[in-house]
Amino acid sequence: HIQWLGNRIDAAQVSRYKELQREVCDLTKAEEQLDELISKCNLQLQLLTEDSHNKKLGYVRCQDLRQSFDSPDQLVMVIRAPPETQMQVSEPSEGYQVSLKSTQGPIDVFLCPEDSSGVC
Amino acid sequence: IGLPTNSAQECQNLEVERERRLERIKQKQSQLQELILQQIAFKNLVQRNRQTEQQANRPPPPNSIIHLPFIIVNTSKKTVIDCSISNDKFEYLFNFDSMFEIHDDIEVLKRMGMACGLEVGKCSPEDLKVARSLVPKALEPYVVEMAKGPISNVYITGGSSAN
Repeated sequence: HIQWLGNRIDAAQVSRYKELQREVCDLTKAEEQLDELISKCNLQLQLLTEDSHNKKLGYVRCQDLRQSFDSPDQLVMVIRAPPETQMQVSEPSEGYQVSLKSTQGPIDVFLCPEDSSGVC
Repeated sequence: IGLPTNSAQECQNLEVERERRLERIKQKQSQLQELILQQIAFKNLVQRNRQTEQQANRPPPPNSIIHLPFIIVNTSKKTVIDCSISNDKFEYLFNFDSMFEIHDDIEVLKRMGMACGLEVGKCSPEDLKVARSLVPKALEPYVVEMAKGPISNVYITGGSSAN
């Protein structure tokens, strides 16, 4: 402690206080800027994926999937479910369980084949 | 000087406030990065598919493609999967006798290289050029930052875009 320096404590503290104030102010601005960018990005992504041309072209080929999980001993299952479908995964200690619950339509589940037919 | 007597306390409060904000900014930065990755990956995918279709002069057979959005569950081939399905296919229950992994479609796109390697900060100059061309100007500084590698510290970009 440097209490015995009397007046100089105040001076040091004042400058520290001001410095902190400025930093918090900068961070507030940075956060506001981020918030704005995030909401813009969300909107862009939504417009992008909802565009009907993009929707048609927004697909992967079966061979892409196979290559992405390229391991000879892996089984790859594809799940296509309507929006707001709930997926629940159990605690590993209670077994390996997955449940899917849809309210808006049927869920599609299929296996990605290993042969080279290129057909799912 | 007109400082309150408990100025030390005030400084401490400010310091706590600063830490809280730094933490929030970190979270929001990774949220923004993920959104940018998704945007780039999706645009790349659409472009690739459009080109392939133009070259082939026809769309691929419907049973050879999977439209987004989807989820992948993968497990060892040795795993026994017990599956019950409701008649209307609205409900499924899977029991695995071994571990499995769940991945979203964005993960697949990343593995396909659609995110230009930005997701791991491994980005060639050409990749970076492509990535930058796929985002609006305001997001370019973030893309440049992501290309440099995983971010550990909070960085603040200016409103104008970097070179």
